[in-house]
Amino acid sequence: MWTVEQRNRLAIEHQILQREGFSQFSVYHNSAYDTYYASGVATSNSGRRYSLYSPIPSGFPTQRPPLYVTDPLPLLAADGTSISRLGVSHAMHALTPHDNGWVQICHWRDSRWHPGIVLQKVFLKAHIWIEAYEQHLATGRPLADFVRTMAEVA
Amino acid sequence: MNTNDPVQRQMIRDAMQAIAERKPGRSKLVYDKTKRTIVAIAEGTQAPQALNITADDADMFGIVTLSSEWLREKWPDLKTAGFLPVRFSSWDDGDALIQAELCIQASPATVRGILLLGQHENKEAAQLGILLEPTDIQATAQDVFVSPEGAAYRGQIVNYGQQHLHSADIVFADIEPQLALRRTGILETTILKDKVVLCVGLGTGGAHVAIELAKCGVGRFLLVDRDRLSVGNVVRHPGGISQVGRFKVHVVRDLILEKNPKAHVEIYSVDVGFANRDLIGELVRTADIVICGTDNRQSKLLINDLCITANTTAIYGGAFRRAYGGQILRVRPKRSPCHQCFVAAMPDEASDVEISSTTDASEIAYSDQPVAIEPGLSLDVLPIANMLAKLALLELVADKSSTLNTLRRDFDAPWYLWLNRPEPGTQYAGMPPLSESCDEMTIHRWYGIYFDRDDACPVCGDFIASLAASYGLDPSLLPALPDKE
Repeated sequence: MWTVEQRNRLAIEHQILQREGFSQFSVYHNSAYDTYYASGVATSNSGRRYSLYSPIPSGFPTQRPPLYVTDPLPLLAADGTSISRLGVSHAMHALTPHDNGWVQICHWRDSRWHPGIVLQKVFLKAHIWIEAYEQHLATGRPLADFVRTMAEVA
Repeated sequence: MNTNDPVQRQMIRDAMQAIAERKPGRSKLVYDKTKRTIVAIAEGTQAPQALNITADDADMFGIVTLSSEWLREKWPDLKTAGFLPVRFSSWDDGDALIQAELCIQASPATVRGILLLGQHENKEAAQLGILLEPTDIQATAQDVFVSPEGAAYRGQIVNYGQQHLHSADIVFADIEPQLALRRTGILETTILKDKVVLCVGLGTGGAHVAIELAKCGVGRFLLVDRDRLSVGNVVRHPGGISQVGRFKVHVVRDLILEKNPKAHVEIYSVDVGFANRDLIGELVRTADIVICGTDNRQSKLLINDLCITANTTAIYGGAFRRAYGGQILRVRPKRSPCHQCFVAAMPDEASDVEISSTTDASEIAYSDQPVAIEPGLSLDVLPIANMLAKLALLELVADKSSTLNTLRRDFDAPWYLWLNRPEPGTQYAGMPPLSESCDEMTIHRWYGIYFDRDDACPVCGDFIASLAASYGLDPSLLPALPDKE
């Protein structure tokens, strides 16, 4: 299923995370199913912790890896509603939520993703998203007000 | 026939029939020296009526087209039985009858006919009888059929069940040689017959490219598209209103066969996505060239990945928003920049795409921020499609002897840019008028643009080594990943 190039790419992605200050995140191999995922816990400036999970798709790195917030669950907006209920939301920079109700962070959309983007940048964007999310909680303003649009960043 | 006067029409027909049969009739045609034209004279009337016949009137007989190939195949049966039933698709109130075997898309009206060799009783309730008679007319004439034994025959209508079928020219069509004849000198007869073209995405541009390549004689097509033709598509797509609701692969297959009936066309009504990676990868390996006419980044990158792996040349074409212009990227694996190199080198250009369908819009829309569908005009898309077809043709004849190969020096660049208008808000808004510029960029000119391959490209370069080097890692000494459920 996986090519040698894909396995090598994932191995180096893991090393980059470890060496570049993202050691709270790792790329894992589930040998029972021969699947890969990246995950870890991001801690915001306020000290709150968010569990992130990215199942590596079989078409990686050409195919965009989704990135979910698995904890807290549900992840609530400032008005107390679940963000995942918004679906694909520009205001909250969220893509199609996971069936489990996990919010999918919009790091890059399919129309902007390309295989030159490394997972380190994906987790970097997740950190930015989390800080913007906490600003949203504090002010009630849309999360999008606190991050540049992904189009601009990409 | 030009005139709508039924009396006039009948007089002209009678006169022409009399001439054809070399028998005197009630009407005849004479040359009127004073009017310097041919007139039909109706005899037996109190005041003989003179009718002007225009050049259009001279084309007064209908046409019945039979397949020479079919007839050669059926010739032994015809010789044995003396007759063969044959069915025709009838157009324009019977003015044109085409043998059903030749029709990709038939008329709703049909005519039952019978083909006779020698005088035979009509054994079926045929509406049209065609008698084949030996002739010494040269065999190259289109109204002459040459039997497998080498004898020449002409067809003649001998009976008719419907008044409008009583006079018509019988034409024998040898489809493949006659189509090839029109390409001779530029594309030799069978030069593209063994070529396989994979067309991914059959929107306005993709469909047009496929049809143009069919006209050139490409022998095998693999068509991939998951969409159906909608009413809104019709103002741009080669498919028409009568095709609405059909899958585009079916519509384009029929249009290809209308132009090249001998083409072999395989259709795949599937999404160009990672879920179908294996299938599409197999098609890429089969193809001599891939034409990618999809509008979204993911499908283009998927095709790019598969083509680089399979070492198959691909050409990507697309219009900018509302088709103010467009671009074409030709990727010769490992010899020119790939689509990923293009994305990395020119991200803005790579992201400027036409939003021509709800599918395209949904790729970039949010539930709280919809994206409008903003297609361009067909006439703005077709210059791009024509250029793409020509570039594809050059790739397909590269290993053949062809006049077209003189163009290879002209079309050497990997990336081609075309502008239909100086679109406000773009870097092209301030272009000088076409008539005032020789050196500066203007509308309606092709620009071939060179840029380099990225040696560290994650698709066609050595990205891993480059990445490892930039982080001080040795790619051959990477530890195994942690194993975890």
